[in-house]
Amino acid sequence: MTTQEPVIVIDNFHKSYGKVQAVKGITMRVEQGEIFGFLGPNGAGKTTTIRCMLDVIRPTSGTLRVLGLDAQRDKMELHRHIGYLPGDVRLPGQMTGKQVINYFSRLQGLEPVLLDDLVARFDVEMKRPLKSYSKGMRQKIGVVLAFMCDPEVLILDEPTSGLDPLLQRTFNEFLLQEQARGKTIFMSSHIMSDVEKVCQRVAVIRQGEIVTIEEVEKLRQKAGQRVTVEFGDPVSADEVARMPGVSMVTSHNSAYHFNVSGNMDALIKALSHHEVLRLQAEEAPLEEVFLKFYEETKEAASR
Amino acid sequence: MASTSIPTTVAAPKKRARGLTITMRALSNSKIILSYGAFYALFIAVVIGFLYPSISSINMNAYLTSNAVAGLLGAKLTNANSYSALAALELYSSFYVLIWGGIIAYIAGSTLPASIENGTLDLALARPISRTRYYLEVWLGATIGAVILSVTTFLAVWVSTLFVKNAGIDWTWLIIAQTLELAAMFLAGGIGVLFGSFINASRAAGGAAIGILALFYLMNTLGGISDNLSWMLKIEPIYYIQGIQALAVHSITGWYPLVPVIGGLVCGIAGLVIFNRRDLPTT
Repeated sequence: MTTQEPVIVIDNFHKSYGKVQAVKGITMRVEQGEIFGFLGPNGAGKTTTIRCMLDVIRPTSGTLRVLGLDAQRDKMELHRHIGYLPGDVRLPGQMTGKQVINYFSRLQGLEPVLLDDLVARFDVEMKRPLKSYSKGMRQKIGVVLAFMCDPEVLILDEPTSGLDPLLQRTFNEFLLQEQARGKTIFMSSHIMSDVEKVCQRVAVIRQGEIVTIEEVEKLRQKAGQRVTVEFGDPVSADEVARMPGVSMVTSHNSAYHFNVSGNMDALIKALSHHEVLRLQAEEAPLEEVFLKFYEETKEAASR
Repeated sequence: MASTSIPTTVAAPKKRARGLTITMRALSNSKIILSYGAFYALFIAVVIGFLYPSISSINMNAYLTSNAVAGLLGAKLTNANSYSALAALELYSSFYVLIWGGIIAYIAGSTLPASIENGTLDLALARPISRTRYYLEVWLGATIGAVILSVTTFLAVWVSTLFVKNAGIDWTWLIIAQTLELAAMFLAGGIGVLFGSFINASRAAGGAAIGILALFYLMNTLGGISDNLSWMLKIEPIYYIQGIQALAVHSITGWYPLVPVIGGLVCGIAGLVIFNRRDLPTT
């Protein structure tokens, strides 16, 4: 299926549960062949958005379109082309992995063409009843269910939840391979490090509102550098905080640690007025940018 | 862990027939409770077959014609000395409407919420399956369950006649009685899917559906016991399901069977509307 518009188009989408507004008018676009991260703390509205895209719940207002099809009106046609991995993969305990895969492949109305590859790649147990599976094993079955019929668009709700680090790496490699095959992937997470390895862009949602939609690279630039400085002369924390581009100042063992955004030149010139015993700079983890969004949420809530 | 690489070009997946996948799964999940019902029918039929020679010599007329017992059975029998009447008493009274209806109501009521509880509903509806189809397949599963119980009960009566001398069953009236019981189970299935359409916990939905049937049974009993409460009979559907009357005394009121069928359809369609309109929960 080819579409002129972006693969996923969400316009002014609202969802309320009684008086509680879970999602407050979000708008975003996901382009063909993109791996798009949808980040936010628990309860921010990620799963609500995803479940509306699948018509399991209905929007209060606004539109959600995938592959040019309306998520509510054209859901039958749309669902032929998407694969879905829920946030919490729960499956009937009495069925085996093989039975559950056969059941959902029948419901999809398609042969699971990628089944053998997926089973081998993720080392999926197929013969035992699902009630004996650990969370990670169920998650692997969920991954197989989402990808097995080779859909064009993947909607993944916290896909690495429950996977061990080795499997997470395998899964990330797999996502990149799928992207190379032209798949569009929309994945939610509350862990920045999960998405920064594979996503080109991320949207951050907080309390039902989009805070930012950025390329991961630009977020990295925003995060700037994490700098450690040890001075030979007495320098107060206030003075460090006033230096150009400096934020998030902490001190430990006579050294100051802080973030610097943008050009380092002005900072180095400011530091040159003092005796510098040690200077160390490294890329700030994106997790900190994301945590900043989280903290703003708490502050907003407390106001 | 094997490291594999999916070829850049993968053959388009072939189409696969869906069939009645959801119905078959609903029936498979209900096989234990259906087996209990089928075993119970067979057991009762065989027991009354064995007991018939002794029971037939007892004059139970005074017992059967009392208001209290008639209220419990859903009909006032004047003679239970024939094997037909005994089979009707033990397999087609309103009490058995409650038992087999309860089984079907539980299956119909619990299947949809169970698919919410075990996470399969989200995954199923993310595929090209409409809610209407999902719901109707669940309802069909309960109806097939009702047919299975009906056929089993019919066969159970036939088995019992193999060792009852001069059983004298009128097969046409047995079919009519069984059809009335099937109509009762259809009603129960409709009530079940209605409750399953808006209650998210399987046991609660199945239990609530049984509760409604039990309420109808209670109204039927109380209405039969007291003339002052006879108005209750007309407003609950079990009064119109007189399988016991059909098999024991070969009589039926023409339009009565329509009541449970229409009741079942109304409940089932109401549930379909609710299920199609609501937001489905994650748990």
